[in-house]
Amino acid sequence: MTPTHFSISSAFLLGLMGLAFHRTHLLSALLCLEAMMLALFIALSLWSLQLDATGCSTAPMLMLAFSACEASAGLALLVATARTHGTDHMQALNLLQC
Amino acid sequence: MHPTTLMYTSSLLLMFAVLLYPLLVTFTSLPLNNDWAASHAKTAVKSAFLISLAPLSLFLSTGMEAVTSSWTWMVTTTLDITLSFKFDHYSIIFIPIALYVTWSILEFATWYMHSDPLMNRFFKYLLTFLVAMLILVSANNLFQLFIGWEGVGIMSFLLIGWWHGRADANTAALQAVLYNRVGDIGLILGMAWLATNVNSWDIQQMFILSKDLDMTLPLLGLILAATGKSAQFGLHPWLPAAMEGPTPVSALLHSSTMVVAGIFLLIRMSPLMENNQTALTLCLCLGALTTMFTATCALTQNDIKKIVAFSTSSQLGLMMVTIGLNQPQLAFLHICTHAFFKAMLFLCSGSVIHSLNDEQDIRKMGGLHHLAPFTSSCLTVGSLALTGTPFLAGFFSKDAIIEALNTSHVNAWALTLTLIATSFTAIYSLRVIFFVTMGTPRFLPLSPINENNSAVINPLKRLAWGSIFGGLLVMLNINLFKTPVLTMPTELKLAALAVSVLGLLTALELATLTSKQFKVTPLRTPHHFSTSLGFVPAIIHRQVPQLSLLLGQKIASQMVDQTWLEKTGPKAIANATTPLASATSNMQQGLIKTYLTLFLMTLVLVTLISAT
Repeated sequence: MTPTHFSISSAFLLGLMGLAFHRTHLLSALLCLEAMMLALFIALSLWSLQLDATGCSTAPMLMLAFSACEASAGLALLVATARTHGTDHMQALNLLQC
Repeated sequence: MHPTTLMYTSSLLLMFAVLLYPLLVTFTSLPLNNDWAASHAKTAVKSAFLISLAPLSLFLSTGMEAVTSSWTWMVTTTLDITLSFKFDHYSIIFIPIALYVTWSILEFATWYMHSDPLMNRFFKYLLTFLVAMLILVSANNLFQLFIGWEGVGIMSFLLIGWWHGRADANTAALQAVLYNRVGDIGLILGMAWLATNVNSWDIQQMFILSKDLDMTLPLLGLILAATGKSAQFGLHPWLPAAMEGPTPVSALLHSSTMVVAGIFLLIRMSPLMENNQTALTLCLCLGALTTMFTATCALTQNDIKKIVAFSTSSQLGLMMVTIGLNQPQLAFLHICTHAFFKAMLFLCSGSVIHSLNDEQDIRKMGGLHHLAPFTSSCLTVGSLALTGTPFLAGFFSKDAIIEALNTSHVNAWALTLTLIATSFTAIYSLRVIFFVTMGTPRFLPLSPINENNSAVINPLKRLAWGSIFGGLLVMLNINLFKTPVLTMPTELKLAALAVSVLGLLTALELATLTSKQFKVTPLRTPHHFSTSLGFVPAIIHRQVPQLSLLLGQKIASQMVDQTWLEKTGPKAIANATTPLASATSNMQQGLIKTYLTLFLMTLVLVTLISAT
């Protein structure tokens, strides 16, 4: 594995770790999700250089567009949670937990 | 058209017109006058009888038979049905006899049903029945015969259930329809087989085209039809139950005309049966069993009409035996003579019943020999004719049958049963005469015994003349198709007379025992067997409906509702996937953190391994 690959993978994994080990706030989980998206964006951008292929040049733009949608959806969920549960603490979201 | 055929056809047409006119009058909305029954219906039958004497005399003088085919009813590629009438030896002789008997019965019914407010409707039903019977008898193709067959069945139902407020009458009418229906299955089977294999329902065509075919199946169907309609053993309980109807109905339908329709069918189809030994043996054994069984049942009955009904059933068995001997003409002869004396026996019973204020139990009659001499004389004459007293009406047919039975290669068991049944005939006839006419009266003193009404006397007189001379007249004027065996040992020749006399002596002995206590503890089992009609109605009428209802319940509620609609049908999917879905959702605990952590661990592991 090349150092670039390793660093991008580790950046993605750090963001995933933040998502998995979220402690209190839903907002921090969403931020980690953005970090994962950022790592993927960097990876897609560098791919066309690493693989010497120009076909996948537009991929980062698509990625960015979809992640913007995803982020806005996440933020809307955050606002709705704050409206219904009064807080964005993760302990409040235990309706389906047995 | 040949003048004889013209005469036959126009007489039949005139007869139908004369008989249908009173019926059509009732369909208009004009109210009928009070004596419509006597003035219109009875007169119509009398005129029809006189008209029917014309073809009879023409037939007796020329011996010419005719078949008339008129209007084409339907034409298909394979089957033609036309309206066709057959004027042969059987129909030309039977129609005047049927009309004579019906005339007498209708005249009697004007007295018997006098107090019934619906008397006109009763006569309408009787006329409709008569028209259906004439259609049956004169039919040349099986479709027309079937029309008459069904017509007499339906009119029998309506007439048996005449007093429909009585539950027993409704049950009896239902029994008649159901048992006849089972017989109809046989007739339709025969018709279907003939339509598909012989391609015709015309009698002449069937006879010619079926020479080389194996006719066992349609003949079994026709024998089943005769079993149902003529109350042979197996489908017999409806005939004694049919005595719930008024006495004129019993006299007309269930002694002279309707019940002989089955035998008449077999007589018409006898050329098909000549060469089929299976069918002949079946007829023989079935008839012998019927005649023996019903004669046994008649020995201990106490209702006068039931005794006469069982007597009818026994004579029908005898006719079936004759067909089994391949002697259809003797069976026909017995039909004709039987009509006279059996109708007379029923009319005498009706007169006795009305005279004793609707008492039908013979244990409560007696001494009518002095109180109603004419009726008891006719009863005696009828019983003597029934037992085959020499040279009365019954003798010519019954003795000829017994002689034919004795001199042919026949099943010995059938022969024994028939001879025993003949002796039983004498026994129960004597029982009737002993209890009704002899001895001292056992009824209430104020009984309206009245024989002065000519509406009673004239029919009895006419039928008495018929019972005495009928056999002689018919026998003198017909030609027998098959040569009878004329030489036989003396014992065989006198066999019928001997067993009847034996029965008579036994019955006289038994009659004198009624006033003594012969045995202190009598043997009751044979008596119970005989009085309960062989337990056949008690068993069959309960078992068969119970099994049908159980089967219906199993099919409807268990098979359809529970199985097809719930377990294996629409609810099957729901029943199968619901446990799966609940198990799956029970397995998922919703521990998101744990799942994501594990995912992370795996990815870290992969990255580290691939980095080295």
